[in-house]
Amino acid sequence: MTPDGIRTAFGPAGLTTEEPVGRSTAWWGVTLFVATEGTVFAALLGSYFYLRFQHGAPWPPDGIARPELLLPLIMTAVLVPSSLPVVWAESGIRRGRRWQLRAGLLATLAMGGTFLGLQGVEYHGLLREFTVTTNVYGSLFYVITTFHGAHVTVGLLMVCWLLAASLHDGSGARRREQVRVVAYYWHFVDAVWVAVLFTVYLSPRL
Amino acid sequence: MNQRLPPRTALFGGLLLWFAVLGGVLSWTVHSLAAWSIDELTCEAGHDNLAGFPLTGAVALAVLLPAAGAATALVVSVLAWRRLRPGPRADDDRSLGRAHLLAVVGLWLNVLALAMIVLGGVAALVLPPCQR
Amino acid sequence: MASSTAACDTGPGPEAMASLSRHWAEAPTLRNWFATVDHKRIGRRYLVTAGVFFGLAGASAVALRTQLAGPEAGILSAWEYNQLFTMHGTAMIFLFSTPMLFGFGNFLVPLMIGARDMAFPRLNAFGYWVFLFAGLFMWASVPAGAAPDGGWFAYVPLTDERNSPGLHLDVYTLGLLFLGVSTTAGAINFIVTALKLRAPGMSLNRVPIFVWAVVATSFMVLFALPVLNLDNVLLFLDRRFDTRFFDPGRGGNVLLWQHLFWIFGHPDVYIIVMPALGIVSAVLPVFCRRGIVGYPLIVFSIVAIAIISFGVWVHHMFATGLPQLSYGFFSAASTIITIPSGLQIFAWLATMLTGRIVVRVPFLFVVGFLVTFVVGGVTGVMFALTAFDQQITDTYFVVAHFHYVLFGGAVFPILAGLYYWLPKLTGRMAGERLGRWAFGLVFVGMNLTFLPMHVSGLLGMPRRVYTYPGGLGWDPWNLLATVGAYVLAVGLLLVVAGVIHALRRGEPAPDDPWGGDSLEWATSSPPKPYNFPVIPRVHSLHPVWDPRTAESTGLGADGDRILAEGRGTLLTSELDGRYERAVRMPQETLKPLVAALGLLIVFLGLLLAGYWVAAAGAALVVVTLGAWLWPPRQTPEEADPAVGGGAV
Repeated sequence: MTPDGIRTAFGPAGLTTEEPVGRSTAWWGVTLFVATEGTVFAALLGSYFYLRFQHGAPWPPDGIARPELLLPLIMTAVLVPSSLPVVWAESGIRRGRRWQLRAGLLATLAMGGTFLGLQGVEYHGLLREFTVTTNVYGSLFYVITTFHGAHVTVGLLMVCWLLAASLHDGSGARRREQVRVVAYYWHFVDAVWVAVLFTVYLSPRL
Repeated sequence: MNQRLPPRTALFGGLLLWFAVLGGVLSWTVHSLAAWSIDELTCEAGHDNLAGFPLTGAVALAVLLPAAGAATALVVSVLAWRRLRPGPRADDDRSLGRAHLLAVVGLWLNVLALAMIVLGGVAALVLPPCQR
Repeated sequence: MASSTAACDTGPGPEAMASLSRHWAEAPTLRNWFATVDHKRIGRRYLVTAGVFFGLAGASAVALRTQLAGPEAGILSAWEYNQLFTMHGTAMIFLFSTPMLFGFGNFLVPLMIGARDMAFPRLNAFGYWVFLFAGLFMWASVPAGAAPDGGWFAYVPLTDERNSPGLHLDVYTLGLLFLGVSTTAGAINFIVTALKLRAPGMSLNRVPIFVWAVVATSFMVLFALPVLNLDNVLLFLDRRFDTRFFDPGRGGNVLLWQHLFWIFGHPDVYIIVMPALGIVSAVLPVFCRRGIVGYPLIVFSIVAIAIISFGVWVHHMFATGLPQLSYGFFSAASTIITIPSGLQIFAWLATMLTGRIVVRVPFLFVVGFLVTFVVGGVTGVMFALTAFDQQITDTYFVVAHFHYVLFGGAVFPILAGLYYWLPKLTGRMAGERLGRWAFGLVFVGMNLTFLPMHVSGLLGMPRRVYTYPGGLGWDPWNLLATVGAYVLAVGLLLVVAGVIHALRRGEPAPDDPWGGDSLEWATSSPPKPYNFPVIPRVHSLHPVWDPRTAESTGLGADGDRILAEGRGTLLTSELDGRYERAVRMPQETLKPLVAALGLLIVFLGLLLAGYWVAAAGAALVVVTLGAWLWPPRQTPEEADPAVGGGAV
């Protein structure tokens, strides 16, 4: 932007620009919902660090090994890119291509389902080492990951609902707003996973 | 009144007003979280430096940078408040009235935020960081 | 001040009026009683339900006071006393204050901003049913002998499984989680409604203070309540499934409960008081015959309190051994937050000084609020002296202090609001004489109850004891407080009698009995199901005192703002209130009720350890929500091309 443009922006004409503007009630609803859900996760991950630092070294305690990274990184590689087919599906419905919507949603469903499956595999191995009642580390580990997994499940239920709805009636264009809402929620679930990955899997190695 | 502005200029102006409103309290949020967690966690771990960097210096940074942010927001809000003052016959220009209200709200918010950050800084000057 | 009924003569034609009635009226069937989505009916239900919970919590308090009237009394056992004082506090905070003010908000926000309903009417109905079921869930534990008994803030380790066996604390954690669903849904609904459904022309600088207060409160709910919910989830898991979050033996930490609780708890003080202050800002100017002094500063004060209140929680924990310096950061916020709070008091005083005061019952309650709230504030400042604080912590002095703040700061404004809006709520006027008697008894009774507690607290009487030995100098003060409690109860019963009398024999209320300035007075009493025959156009902060707004619903009414075809209301832009488009509003439906019942099954299943029952309830919720959104809602352009469009 030119200095002239900045000066204009700083004048009455620029400062009175309405922003945000023209959003739908559904957009505001899901934005606020994601904000309050994000606060839950912030408090949960904050509690992790609080309990960890109050506990002191060694962390993880009681001879539990530091978390393996291979599987969580594979899970990340599956979950984070699953936002892309959602974006693709959204652009599909904007252009009225129902096949693109369905294909994108199916891809998301497959990737999210794989993520949950991998989480099950991880639990299967770890539960032999420690459980949710072993100590505070075990409680934190399982509650945080399960809580996130529950959000993935809810997101997948929404995707299933959209898929069923898009198969049910002809005009997919009507559902633009709903696809948008689900897309927001799914991006949120993805972003939270990155925070969970950092907190639960990476931070004990720092 | 802003249809003639190019979209990016208009967007920048709109966001600038929000910075004037919320810049101070955002800086204060950053200050509280950073200064508190640095102090708390370092002292908890039993030393008074942060990877070789003295703790007082780290706390000072967590005071000075947000203070600079809040001061900038304060200047912007004062300028916005002066430029948006409705004229005598501006009764019906609701954009101007609305933006002026937000600028007033922002101005006082920034004053409070700056005061809170400065008071926190005074505490950091007076108290040794890890005294209980 | 223009008469608003005149609008109907010159505004929309009889056909449009008939069409509006046909589309908006809910047939008076039993199904519709359960299926209603009308914000006015839901708002009234919130008020009545919260009022009933207030009665139950108040009856608990009278029982507690009866037990404490003299030393060594045996009316209640320690076991019963613990449950009753915990339910008294928990219900007053969670089941009465916030839902009561949400009830006012539900009824008033759409009317004040010139909309025809809330942004999400079905979510609104869902929120009410969840509130009702959560309240019943918690109160049912009292006759079952399983009521919460750990105090309203339920500190761990007192409340862990070992120290508090049984269902008591599970009722607390699950009940508050259940209620949290309702509060969160309501908060989102308020914010979206206030952002998108304001009448054209109502830019942010023309929004009534009450609406600002409700929106700020809702934002605080969105960021504070999740923390309490998390805290309750962790406690429930610790108690039921042996997780170790609060178990120091396995690396947990009991202070985590306190941190999370007060991150929620301090904003919650303002969540309770802020909408009540909004009521004062709505009622007071009308009885001073002028607009409120310092509108921009009051808006600033509301926004500032909402933000800064999140930075003060550590001051509840100054005795837990953190580094002094980190107290310093939070003390700064605790000191500064008094500035915006004081600002509002001075704005009201200035309004009274520069206005022409008309003394009616709502005004009396506002004055009662000012006096008691300031007294509570003075004793609050005394706590800032650490030496004094440590002397009187956990004594009756603290009980006296927060009852002055909360009874003064919330109950007096609520009663003022009740008398002020009763004509709009019911279409009937409350009797002036009965109202004055009620005010007198409530004011005297309230002070007689709580003033002596300052003294017994200074004399060392600890709170939460079920009885005490005689001869410690506490006896006369306790007897006085008990007498006061009965006077107060009689005063509150007179309020109820006044409302019932108004409903049965009250004079019919005119549209605008007080000469108010906000849009709820621009429609009939009680409002028609569609609220406004023509959605008004707003030109100033005081639309009802503005002839241009009256003209916009009369001669200047256009089809864009009548929307007679189907249930429609207007979307306007977020900041400046520019006309955007018309939207369709949903019809009556039973699905919110079914979804709330599903949630009730979930929480009952969790409480009684029937986890498969809980899973079935969750499935019911999911299926209902799926059906709720099916078939997908049509955008208005597709549903009815005629409704969309329109310029500024």
